[in-house]
Amino acid sequence: MNIICVVKIVPDVDSFAYDYENNTLIRENIRMILNPDDACALACALKVKAGRPDCSIEVVTMGPKAVKPHMEDLLRLDADRGTIISDPAYRGSDTYVTSRILARYLSTRQFDVLLTGSHALDGDTSHVPAQLGEELDLEQMSGITAVDFERFDSRRAVFEVEYESSVVTWEMALPAILSLDRESGYTLPYVKYEDFQRDVSGKLTIIGNPELGFEPGEVGSDGSLTEVVRTYTQRFETRERRIVRNDDAGIEDVFNFLLEKGFL
Amino acid sequence: MNSETILDEVQKLLTPEQVNTDREDLYDASADRYKKYAKARGVLDVPMPLAIVYPNSTDEVSRLLQFCNENRINVIPRAGKTATEGGLENWKEQTLVIDALNLNKIIKLDTYNMQATVQAGVALQDLEDELRKEGFTTGHSPQSKPVAKLGGLVATRSIGQLSTLYGGIEDMVVGLECVFPDGHISRIKNVSRRSGGPDIRHIAIGNEGTLCYITEVTVKCFKFYPENNRFFGYLVKDVESGIKVLREVMANGFRPSVARTYSEEDAAQHFYHFHKNKCVLLFMAEGPEGIVDATCRGIEAAAEKFKDGILEQVDSKYIEDWFNNLNWSQQDIDDEYEGMKEHDSHAGFTTEISADWETIPKIYNSVIRRIRDEYPRAHELTMLGGHSSHSYINGTNMYFVYNYDIHCAPEDEMRVYHHPLQKLIVEETLKFGGSMCHHHGIGKFRSEWTKDEHGSAYYMLAKLKEAFDPNGIMNFGTIFPQEEGRKYLS
Ligand SMILES: Cc1cc2nc3c(=O)[nH]c(=O)nc-3n(C[C@H](O)[C@H](O)[C@H](O)COP(=O)(O)OP(=O)(O)OC[C@H]3O[C@@H](n4cnc5c(N)ncnc54)[C@H](O)[C@@H]3O)c2cc1C
Repeated sequence: MNIICVVKIVPDVDSFAYDYENNTLIRENIRMILNPDDACALACALKVKAGRPDCSIEVVTMGPKAVKPHMEDLLRLDADRGTIISDPAYRGSDTYVTSRILARYLSTRQFDVLLTGSHALDGDTSHVPAQLGEELDLEQMSGITAVDFERFDSRRAVFEVEYESSVVTWEMALPAILSLDRESGYTLPYVKYEDFQRDVSGKLTIIGNPELGFEPGEVGSDGSLTEVVRTYTQRFETRERRIVRNDDAGIEDVFNFLLEKGFL
Repeated sequence: MNSETILDEVQKLLTPEQVNTDREDLYDASADRYKKYAKARGVLDVPMPLAIVYPNSTDEVSRLLQFCNENRINVIPRAGKTATEGGLENWKEQTLVIDALNLNKIIKLDTYNMQATVQAGVALQDLEDELRKEGFTTGHSPQSKPVAKLGGLVATRSIGQLSTLYGGIEDMVVGLECVFPDGHISRIKNVSRRSGGPDIRHIAIGNEGTLCYITEVTVKCFKFYPENNRFFGYLVKDVESGIKVLREVMANGFRPSVARTYSEEDAAQHFYHFHKNKCVLLFMAEGPEGIVDATCRGIEAAAEKFKDGILEQVDSKYIEDWFNNLNWSQQDIDDEYEGMKEHDSHAGFTTEISADWETIPKIYNSVIRRIRDEYPRAHELTMLGGHSSHSYINGTNMYFVYNYDIHCAPEDEMRVYHHPLQKLIVEETLKFGGSMCHHHGIGKFRSEWTKDEHGSAYYMLAKLKEAFDPNGIMNFGTIFPQEEGRKYLS
């Protein structure tokens, strides 16, 4: 069984610093992390693979070459192959173009299932999995919170999706695209100590436009159907600061405050 | 002697109630805060001690040590359990932890002679509270003050947050009582000063339980003038600019009680309400009014002289608030422990070094560069920075502070993250001629560099160990490097 995980390395929103003078986010020195939903997708793939010697996992990402250390760590887990799609020409691509680029690469690969996350920490449009379905002519399902590993093979997958008032169990014919939600709670295993220094460069391929062959006008911001008109950082108001003591009056104060704000 | 017989004998030496063999307590006694995360996750790789024993008197300590010495049983002295460098970690199959729990008497508050005598197991906070009732203070205020005890504080050469005025513990200890492995009890008398040969207090101060067991200490006390406290805070351009102001204040002969410079990253952790992503410089002046006034003028003059490096002055109220919420209580320590059980993260680690004024910025910049360039997991660091918090006429310290997301098994955390980071810091510090251990002691995890730290003077240290602990029963692996213990090193 061949599984491909499509993942994204995203800025860790918790590491954003705030420029108080200009009321903007400071984007330098931002730490990058594997998008949490995508981590669940890979963790799920690794669970499927466990105990199935015929199963192989490829991790595919599109982004700058700086994501290499992150991809290398994923390969130090039990992923068999990693591909970074990176090209200066792809910079500024919207979700539509990103999906086309990913799809062109994926159409050259043999797979039984594509696993992705449902949401990304940064853009959070959730476009890419569905658009990949469109491009590759595959069914796609988002918001998966549990997978039945007993009933997951190269022909079909059984899984649960949580809706507002119900949990629905689906059975889907493969190949298809399954998008995991972080609520699934699938966590990546730790890299083993002996593997931290393991050279995995042989398992990692970096490809770009020479391999995928898009015309210049098709990719980057030129090829994008959507355009970001304006981004702005939420302005944070300076709140009034009140210090209370750890005594009856202080407790009363906090209690009334919470009551007033509707928390109690 | 087999373990069972040892326990029988110890119970005869003391009473059964003074011998604790509860498994959970023994697991807790196997390591200190160096391996806090592995400990919380239940994956410690070191042997458990045979028992924790609680002597009620100096004589009992003497009998216990003599027994251990004769039977080659490793001893780990223990006080408040806040050790951070492995001083309480156990590397031997047969170990007794001698805990100062019952040596908890405040023996004398002698405010006329400005000194207080306590047993080793008295928590610093308790002594401080008693002195405060009479308008005095110990002047010793480590962040661990609510938990650490006098025996441990003296044994590690600890330092408090007001050290720039009051000094480190070595400036405060007047006299002490300690017990050697052969059972000999030495009492060093309390005098204001003497020239009676080498200052033998320093054999006990900082010995980290490797030479003797400290049972009693007498420390100085000082008049307490909280009403005169004054605070200053500034945002500064970089660490070097802050350190220049610290130096100016010290070199001109002023002694603020707190004098600190924080890097941007570290400032962001402590001063969320005003840091503006800049470095922070701060001072506190305390003491009699006239001295405080003079100190304030000294601080203002230094800030004025180096105003090019100062971006803005901060409302002193913020600094006062910060100062009033500095210490870690047992509850904070317990909360971190509970948090580590569930999350792949903790409150971070530190490595504290010192050097002269000229060298400190060089070490700081060099360490930060090397970590960013050479440390293979640099992309997982969630925080890397530092602060200078203890200044002297000839130099200052640097407290490197770092944290990271943990992406390895709990038992591997030290060798994947903290230890390689500490190694880079120690290597750079020693290369520039600084000291790798400003105030947490060497413990077990810096012992691989003890010889480099001391150079040709290591001879003197090694002779002390040979003379006082010829059988090597005192805190095996601490300070003095041990080949046999390498398996527990990262
Ligand atoms: C939150 C936190 C904040 C801290 N802040 C500071 C700080 O501001 N300044 C600072 O200097 N340190 C600080 N430390 C480190 C620690 O508190 C000090 O090293 C302290 O001196 C240890 O005292 P303790 O009573 O907890 O000793 P323990 O942890 O019990 O023991 C420390 C070492 O001393 C030895 N020892 C203990 N008792 C005796 C004895 N009676 N005779 C001989 N040897 C003995 C032990 O074997 C061990 O090697 C901090 C630690 C924590 C956890």
